[in-house]
Amino acid sequence: MKEIVCISGKGGTGKSSVVAALSWIAKDEILVADCDVDAADLHLIFAPEPEKSEEFYSGIKAEIDPSRCIACGICAAKCRFDAIHPVGNVYQVKPLDCEGCGYCFHVCPQNAISLPEQMVGHCFTSNTRFGCKLVHAKLKIGADNSGKLVAKVKNEAKQLAAALEKEYILVDGSPGIGCPVISSLSGANLALLVTEPSLSAQSDLERLWKLIQKFQIPAACIINKADINPNISHEIKKWLKKEGIRMLAELPYDEDFQAAIVNGNSVLEYNYTKWQPVFEKIWQALKETK
Amino acid sequence: MKIAFTSTGDGWDAKVDPRFGRTDYFLIYDDATEAFTLVDNTEIRSVEHGAGPKSAEKIFELAPDVLITGNGPGGNAASILTKMKMKIYVGAGGMSIREAYNAFKNNELQKGV
Repeated sequence: MKEIVCISGKGGTGKSSVVAALSWIAKDEILVADCDVDAADLHLIFAPEPEKSEEFYSGIKAEIDPSRCIACGICAAKCRFDAIHPVGNVYQVKPLDCEGCGYCFHVCPQNAISLPEQMVGHCFTSNTRFGCKLVHAKLKIGADNSGKLVAKVKNEAKQLAAALEKEYILVDGSPGIGCPVISSLSGANLALLVTEPSLSAQSDLERLWKLIQKFQIPAACIINKADINPNISHEIKKWLKKEGIRMLAELPYDEDFQAAIVNGNSVLEYNYTKWQPVFEKIWQALKETK
Repeated sequence: MKIAFTSTGDGWDAKVDPRFGRTDYFLIYDDATEAFTLVDNTEIRSVEHGAGPKSAEKIFELAPDVLITGNGPGGNAASILTKMKMKIYVGAGGMSIREAYNAFKNNELQKGV
């Protein structure tokens, strides 16, 4: 089984559009995992129907037991996040302001404060209209993505892919180079980099490559919207060559991508004759990349 | 010599977990006594952030002579392991413990960090 992780450094380079297009090509061979849990969007195109749903717990928040609170106010005075206020004749925690630091828990003379783990969302295994399975998650408003949640989504995906004898797991990663990205790279066989010719995308790509090298994972790159700035595209190509990263394709800026998303489709469904050969070639090249 | 593997289970036929920070187990093989010690690391599943440094702490406590893993530790874990002067070998992800041990003995594994 080969795990291909699609990441970009900068957000908005077209990573998820590429994953959706490749998924349409490779739907019989793959299982897809959406690890961009903060801003999951593959479900907009895959129209998943969950067959399994699991609650996901992460992080802690303070809770005050009103029957034990003596309204001494020590917790409110110590709280750095201004999350504790008097309500009636006891103190209460405002959950959205609480960062779960636990200071109040330690200073409460009544032991009235607990730090329960928070149910922050759900992890799903779904059937999709593409035919392939999708493992994805949905967080509650204000909840954080984490390496923990990404590892959970990937573990589910791995077990299911093994059970279904799928050869590839296609992972849609999140932007940046932080904890969720590290977790999505961990254990992967290949990183598919999707970039665009802008200075910020170029800079983020270089930072991402430093991270990927620590994990000794081979990488291949697609320059999306390559024609919007031919100079930077040229610079990126030179850099890829220098770093030994395989250049898979340059895609032009094309409003088909936007139109496809508006219709809830992959770009292949929007215009098959135009895009099928392009993404077929990319998929075959990806399969060969070691 | 004590060799630590990031592992999915116990014994020669278990697989090397390619992940360092989020490995479920460390399997320690002592070639002097030819004995395995399985160290449970599954508590890492409940760690939101900083799995790498946490697992590196565990390696510090276990103090093996060599660490064998798959993708190799990330930046934060690596800085701890480097200070310990840990000998790290990577590229064993997905191999059985036996295959990884033989590859190590035959100098076929890549040096990490």
